[in-house]
Amino acid sequence: MAWDQFKKGFDRWENTTAEYLETVMKNRTVLEPAGKLLSAAFRARARVHGTLSGAWESLGLPTRRDQERTLHALNQLQSRLLDLEEKLDALNKKDE
Amino acid sequence: MRPVLELAAQLVRRRPPPAVGQTPAVEVHRENKMRLLRYRARPEGTAFKTPVLLVPSLINRHYVLDLMPGKSFVEHLVAQGHDVHIIDWGTPGPEDRFLTFDDITGTYLGRALKRTGESSPDGKVHVLGYCLGGTLAAIHAGAHPGRFASFVALAAPVAFHDEGLVSTWTRQEGFDLQALVDGAGNVPWQLMQAAFQMLRPTLPLAKAVSVVDKFWNDEFLDGFFALETWGNDNVSFPGQAYRQYVEELYRKDALVKDAFTLHGKPVRLSNITCPLLSITFEHDNIVPVSSAAPLLGRVGSADKERIHLPGGHVGAVVSRAASRGLWPKISAFWAKRDAR
Repeated sequence: MAWDQFKKGFDRWENTTAEYLETVMKNRTVLEPAGKLLSAAFRARARVHGTLSGAWESLGLPTRRDQERTLHALNQLQSRLLDLEEKLDALNKKDE
Repeated sequence: MRPVLELAAQLVRRRPPPAVGQTPAVEVHRENKMRLLRYRARPEGTAFKTPVLLVPSLINRHYVLDLMPGKSFVEHLVAQGHDVHIIDWGTPGPEDRFLTFDDITGTYLGRALKRTGESSPDGKVHVLGYCLGGTLAAIHAGAHPGRFASFVALAAPVAFHDEGLVSTWTRQEGFDLQALVDGAGNVPWQLMQAAFQMLRPTLPLAKAVSVVDKFWNDEFLDGFFALETWGNDNVSFPGQAYRQYVEELYRKDALVKDAFTLHGKPVRLSNITCPLLSITFEHDNIVPVSSAAPLLGRVGSADKERIHLPGGHVGAVVSRAASRGLWPKISAFWAKRDAR
């Protein structure tokens, strides 16, 4: 009985609080500084990575980004090969 | 009070991990991280000619549609006699920061459609896209509608200028998209999960109270932990695709304005002429009704329906109520439109 009363009260509180927090979260005065903070953090991260990559590159070594580009190119190549296989299969079927 | 809570915590810790995604399936195609799975048919074989392709969201695991035995949409479809395929998008590696919508929606989804269509008499497939998966399927169908026997858009956003928190957040000026993608590569799932938690910050507390309330109900706890396992097993968003997603879809609302392109081909929702079933949920705070409902008015299909149900974005798809209402409706929609 006491639990049921608590649950009813809690559900009411949860709904009201959630609605209030949603209004707060959507407020420009909250969203804009949060967005700027997040952007600044990622800009700083990109700068650190850029500096490290620059140092690495100056030694004539491939950077992490170079490796990522190469792996991506290999994946693209895999898709192209599958495209070609499909076209060949279609041509073979036509000939049959 | 404290010993009771400690006992409860101990009991929870002792529970075996939930067995998610248990319906037997074989991998029929793999490309980069994407896998196409085909579920084993029921012992008496399939009852329908047109296969089904389920397209889940890019940022969640596919097994939400095959949550656990007895609570699985896939299991239900297989039992009804459908030939079910599903895309598992996999976990993007650092190199996948360069993937674009052309790669994901054009190449990978296109291939999954072709492979699934191989078991169909006319090469066509019934497609169900859930959440962002529905957006991806709508984009593909808007450029290449040929392989769609029908399209079920399950809580799939197509119009992005709504009043929801995610839309407001991504469209505000302080959010520097380029900085995020440059700094992070792939957008970390932790960041996206935090954004989703912001949609209802009191939810963890509400869940805790629910667990205490139904602590002795094993069936509830099994479902709860399976869903929590899924909810915490998220995937990062490929960076370049995320940039397009926010820039083109959220900021420019390009899909409903016919301004989106796929491999250079214009995407027009009016090109979708196959039978369409659009499903929206009353209390969906991830994909608001105003974001999913406009699809129905923009497609060129003559045969189109909309189902609007109570419930939230996930609960309404995996709940017991869904197994009695939503799942049979989807199955019946496909059965009625099976290849002759």
